[in-house]
Amino acid sequence: MPFVSQTSLQSDYTLFSSNCPIVIDNGGSNFRIGWAGETDPRIIFRNIVQRPRHKATGETVTIVGDHDPALMKYFDCTRSSPRSAFDSNVVYQFEIMEYILDYGFERMGADGSQVDHPVLITECVCNPVQSRSKMAELLFETYGVPSVAFGVDAAFSYKYNQQLGICDKDGLVVCPGFTTTHVIPFVDGEPVYKACCRTNIGGFHVSDYLKQLLSLKYPHHMSRITWEKVEDLKMEHCYIATDYASEARLFQKGGKEAEDKTRCWQLPWVPPPVEGLPSEEEIARKAAIKERQGQRLREMAEAKRSSRINELENELQGLEFLLQQLGNVEEKDIACFLAETGYVSKQEIESSRAKVMQSLRKAKGEPKGEQAETEEKVDPSAAEKYPLINISDNMLTPEQLKEKKKQLFLKTTSEGRQRAKQKRFEEELERERQNQQDEEKRLENPELYLEQLRAKHRELSEKVEQRKRHKTNGNHTNGNHNLSGGVGRGERLNAAQKERMRLLTTAAFDRGKGEDTFGARDEDWQLYKLMSKDNDEDEEGPDAYEAELARISSRLQDIDPNFVSKSELVPFQPVVEVPSFRPLSKEDFQIVFGVERFRCPEILFHPNLVGVDQVGVDEMAGVSIRRLPSRSQGLNERMTNSILLTGGSCLFPGIRERLEAGIRMIRPCGSPIRVVRASDPVLDAWRGAAVYAASLQFPGQTFSKTDYYEKGEDWLRRYTLRYTL
Amino acid sequence: MRNPPVEMEPEVIEAEMVLPTYLSFKKVQMHEKYPKGQARGRHWKHLKQIIQAENYQNYPPDEPNYVNIESPPSMNPCKKICDITGFEAPYSDPRTTLRYANTEVFKHIRLIPNESVQRYLALRNAQVVLK
Repeated sequence: MPFVSQTSLQSDYTLFSSNCPIVIDNGGSNFRIGWAGETDPRIIFRNIVQRPRHKATGETVTIVGDHDPALMKYFDCTRSSPRSAFDSNVVYQFEIMEYILDYGFERMGADGSQVDHPVLITECVCNPVQSRSKMAELLFETYGVPSVAFGVDAAFSYKYNQQLGICDKDGLVVCPGFTTTHVIPFVDGEPVYKACCRTNIGGFHVSDYLKQLLSLKYPHHMSRITWEKVEDLKMEHCYIATDYASEARLFQKGGKEAEDKTRCWQLPWVPPPVEGLPSEEEIARKAAIKERQGQRLREMAEAKRSSRINELENELQGLEFLLQQLGNVEEKDIACFLAETGYVSKQEIESSRAKVMQSLRKAKGEPKGEQAETEEKVDPSAAEKYPLINISDNMLTPEQLKEKKKQLFLKTTSEGRQRAKQKRFEEELERERQNQQDEEKRLENPELYLEQLRAKHRELSEKVEQRKRHKTNGNHTNGNHNLSGGVGRGERLNAAQKERMRLLTTAAFDRGKGEDTFGARDEDWQLYKLMSKDNDEDEEGPDAYEAELARISSRLQDIDPNFVSKSELVPFQPVVEVPSFRPLSKEDFQIVFGVERFRCPEILFHPNLVGVDQVGVDEMAGVSIRRLPSRSQGLNERMTNSILLTGGSCLFPGIRERLEAGIRMIRPCGSPIRVVRASDPVLDAWRGAAVYAASLQFPGQTFSKTDYYEKGEDWLRRYTLRYTL
Repeated sequence: MRNPPVEMEPEVIEAEMVLPTYLSFKKVQMHEKYPKGQARGRHWKHLKQIIQAENYQNYPPDEPNYVNIESPPSMNPCKKICDITGFEAPYSDPRTTLRYANTEVFKHIRLIPNESVQRYLALRNAQVVLK
């Protein structure tokens, strides 16, 4: 990871005198602080603040910068997300800024009652005066800083490289930053802000674009594609193509070169344990377990049965005893005796006794055999039970006639039941026979059988789908336009639907003679019955097909290893979805990105790829030169002769050549173009500022608290640093 | 001399990641400035509001300020690339307005659900926004 934070507590704060300024590079991505005159900042950390709750104590604490994720497990971070003090490149949240400055100073080892050193802090180009004044206020009021100076980071970087000889005193600085990209021309060593140019695209947008693209391409790995990981990927693998179109064509062809340029990120993946065929002992063991379970169940059933038998026997005994007693008791006392026991009459006791005997017999004996016998016994007795049926009507009394009707009814129903049972039995036999035949066919010739089955399945599924389409298109003509190709197809209504439409229209508009009398007559409402019946009839037909289809698909699933049931492939699934019949393999856990490698940084040159309607970096140089107030030919040439690339986002490989090619396209032919990269694009801004602050004329460029309060906001607005000292 | 605010696990204290509540070099401590219980989101002005409050139109237009140094829109015609694959895209789908490179990509576009379509469009800032 190129951007590393260093946050160890410094111990030599007291060794620096009060004149030694503290230099702060307040960047969108990182905050760097150190002493003037040194080559490297002492403390670097990410410019973010989190306020999670400590899990053990419940206190809300403040954590500045990014830290080891392993330690973050002690904190509850659900309500707090990392926040930045910046909105685009302007500081607007001063509470967060204060936390950051607190941490920065504290890590520097600050003690004493105030920060007693002049402070040089960087800001964006043409910082709004509100932000500037609030920052000054913060530094003066809260930290007691004696004097403050504001400068632009890109300018410091340019000056530093100018001193190193990398660029001249007239030139351009191109600074792609975290949220914005600036191009500032320098004339005679001083930046000309009038001609400066800013596009709101930076490293943040590149990372965000990459994150979105990967998330859309691999939706089921979305939880793995975190912001930090994406930034790592961007820094390691992204590059800028010299010519986007040709590079894209290379990948489209898909040749070996494209393969070489494609990177693959393998996510951790555990292969599922391979289930070998269960060995002999496994089978034997399982069989034994099943046997034991069966045994246990049988024992339980046995126990239940015997307890029930006991109960019934007891009941029987009690009832017989009652009957005996009844026989012994005299006539008069029968009523009160019966009242005590709860039975109303002797017949009741007898009938309940009979019932108990029957259930006892059932519980004891072989149930099925008994039932069959009892059923058969019923049948011949049926003829006896309905004696009156055979006698003709005129020989019976009215009462007997009623009796006869009842008996007739009973007879027909019982006969009907018999017939139904017979039919069911026959059907089962038939099905058994068919299954047997099927099995034989399969065993004879498995291939052919499979083919036939598959063909049948295909036909049936087509028919079912057709019917479905007819049905749904009748109902969903106003629906979602995303139905695949539904518009125009199947809108031809079938006969039933046409009939329904006709009924509706005639019902509604038939009596067009000014009065609507629909509903006055009862027959009108029959219309609705007709309409709904039409609907129902339509739906009964395909059910037979669907049942057949289901049966065939289940057969196929059983025997065909390659079969994927059609109903599972719902049309609206993304193409990369794994069909659930194949076990997940290593490839499913790989994230491949080839085109994204150079597609994402391309937005620096073409912001309209992400919808930002501004010029890209190469055209910005042209815009900036055009905006220069004094336009002498020699000046333009000197400008393009020394173009400096600085800022964190210029670390993409290939950016230098691309920028050079881009600028060549907009400048007149033959003009000298020289694009150089800063010696250290990330730290040069701080280094330049440190060198600046260490110079003797620096105190003349700062302003103190009294200045700030006396001279007022207007003066602060016009305050700019003079860079050549 | 750090005094960590609360009792913490030893490794957390050692990492020194938590900001102490009292800092000697500050004239006004954080907890005095922003007392607990008060609405923490102090409604800081966002950039748009800051710029509006600046009233740049009152000042001479050739003075550089935050607004007039912005870059203009591009003069070149916008480059059209396929939204899904990133290749060059001469065609665009009339129904979803996504750009695509060839027929396979087109088939894929017609299969993906509407939310994915909107997310692809959002990459280009062309998604449907209901106001």
